[in-house]
Formats: sequence, C-alpha cells, structure tokens
Amino acid sequence: MSIIQQHTSASLSDAWRTINIDALTEDSSVNFDTSTLHPPLPETSESEVRQLAQQVRQLLRGGDAEGALRGCLEMPVYNGSDLAKEAHLQTVIEVLQSIKASEMTPMLQRIYGTPGGSECLDVLMKYLYKGMATTSGSSSSSSGGGSAPRTPTRMTPQQTGFSQVGARPGAANESTGAAMSVLLSWHEKAVEIAGLGCITRTMTDWRRV
Amino acid sequence: MSQSLRPYLQAVRTSLSAALCLSNFASQTAERHNVPEIEAQTSPEVLLAPLTIARNENERVLIEPSINSIRVSIKIKQADEIEHILVHKFTRFLTQRAESFFILRRKPIKGYDISFLITNFHTEEMLKHKLVDFIIQFMEEVDKEISEMKLFVSSVALARWFRWPPRLIIKQLNARARFVAESFLTPFD
Repeated sequence: MSIIQQHTSASLSDAWRTINIDALTEDSSVNFDTSTLHPPLPETSESEVRQLAQQVRQLLRGGDAEGALRGCLEMPVYNGSDLAKEAHLQTVIEVLQSIKASEMTPMLQRIYGTPGGSECLDVLMKYLYKGMATTSGSSSSSSGGGSAPRTPTRMTPQQTGFSQVGARPGAANESTGAAMSVLLSWHEKAVEIAGLGCITRTMTDWRRV
Repeated sequence: MSQSLRPYLQAVRTSLSAALCLSNFASQTAERHNVPEIEAQTSPEVLLAPLTIARNENERVLIEPSINSIRVSIKIKQADEIEHILVHKFTRFLTQRAESFFILRRKPIKGYDISFLITNFHTEEMLKHKLVDFIIQFMEEVDKEISEMKLFVSSVALARWFRWPPRLIIKQLNARARFVAESFLTPFD
C-alpha cells in the first residue's frame, strides 16, 4: 500500500474534525451512565397521573387545599413519559394557583413540620422551577389553556361591554406574568421555610420531574 | 410593576447563592487541564439540573450549575424594536470589554441576551455575596438604562430633525454607553 493515501471527498473536507471521538470511546467520561446516580424509579403512567389529578381536584373542591397540595407533592412523576410529567406539572400549578397568598406560609409550615415534609418542599421546589422553565420557554398556548380561564374569574370583577381578551398583543403575556408571579411568591415562601438547602437539593437530585 | 420585580430578583438571588458552591475540579478527559465543566460538557455526572427563573415570557434567567462553574444567562426585557436594538448594542458594548469584567461570557447562549460564567477561581478570589450582588444590581440597572437610552434615542431623533451632524450624535451615544459600562466596571477595580 502506498504511503500517499487515497483522497476522497470525505477526507478532503473538514467535516471529520468536528467528530467528537470521546463519544465513541466506551470508557470515556462523556459516556458516564447517569442513571446510576439515582435509585431505580417506578414508572408512572399517564392514566395514573390523570387519576391523581381527579382526586386532587376533588380535594380542592372540598376545600382541603393542604391535602390537595400534599397529595400531588407526595406522588411526583420521576419516571414517565413527557405527557405524564407535563400533566402532573399542570395539576401542581393548578393547586398552587388556587391557594391564597395569605395561606401560603402557614400551610408550608404545617407541611414542613410533618414527617416527610422536607421532601415535599423539595418536590415543590422542583415543580416551581420546571413550571417557570416550561411556561416561559415553550409557548403561551400551553399556559393559556391552563391559567387563562382561571385568572379572569378571580381577578376581573368589572363587566364592561368590551372584551379585553386579545385587545392588546400583551394580553397573553400578562396572563403568563400573573402565573409567574404566583410561582415566584411560592418560591420565596418555600425558601423562607426550608432554606437554601431545598434549592441545592433541586439542583443535585438526579430524580428529575 | 416593581411589585413583581422584587420576588423575581429575590428568587434569582437565593438561587444564585445556592448555585455558587464551587470547588476545584480537574478535567477528566484531558490530563493537566482544568476547564469549566459547564462549558466543556465532557462529564455528564458533574452537571447539575439547570434552574430557570422567569418573570414573564420576555424576562428570565437561566442558571446552569456544575461542579466548578456556573453559567448565568439573562434575557433582558424588550418591549419593542427600539429596545431590542438598544439591548443588542448595549450587550455588545459590554461583551467586547469582557476581559475587564472577569465573569462576563463573550457570547450569550442561545435565547438569552447576556451570559456570565463564574468559575471556582472567581469565587476564590472574590466574595461570593458580592458576586451575587453584582448580578442582581446589573439586572436592576439594565432595565433602567435601556429605558433611559430609549429616551435618549428619541432626543436624538429630535436632534436629527434639527439637522445635527450625525458625528455629534454618535459621539454622544458612545459617551453614554461608555459611562454606563464604566459604572458597571467599578466593582472590579
């Protein structure tokens, strides 16, 4: 075989330089299996999530907001399809939005005081960050479906003849802004009670919601 | 408006303080190298879950923590086209002087306007709470600056109408930008 290599169009171009050879090496650190960093998690199906959402809604209608919050925080969806995770996030956000601002701190304190309450607040923190990430990042359609029918019923008492929906381009923006401010105030209260540790645990925990 | 700004900044402050727990960590892929793991992305086990704090769709902060570095990206509020241009100009002005800011990243990550990269060497040299204060102060000031610059732009439009030479207007704009950049630089002196 001659020393001069056969040049093909593939070897002449620079494309091969961008290949990450570390990814092809089996024992490279790039290929670390991160699933070894958390215990095996039971898979949650979408129907289970829907069932839980139904129970939580019943509790909410019955006036037991604390039970509803506990209920959805004790059953986080760690291992499941994206749809199941999304559905559970919507349930959590719905519960959070239905609780009054003055009830947040005493409720969190009660939950934190009970056994397993610290884990509940960690899960709450995970859902708060996920809620802010998905609602702000993706689109207003997903949040608009969940939060838009809720906010006007509670926040706009005046019935003028004009429809304010879609009057301005900023209207959809405002509803997400309102949803965000609910999450932000929950975040503040949760940090007040559980401390910075719950943010650190949110970051370091490989069981992600 | 400022009522919702306070919990937003508070959430950023607490998240940053929690994320700024950095330690020295040598690269696992290249011997005798020490790189910010969040940029290298070569060891998935040392990258932590990213945190997003959002005030609304147009204003959010992304914190990507890892063992020896964190990346903080800020999306600055842009209500209209003028503000979009002003934010672009302003962040460009700052990133061109990135070496004097130490923690500023030269290029923002996709979807954000400005990024900071804080490594364990920065937290060893500088006080952690001062770094957090700096980013919070930056976020507070930047909105104010953009709206002031917007006012200035409209006065420039007026000046154009009075047929000032463009050279004079550009000089004034640059002077303004320099003044702002220098006010952000002072904490690093």
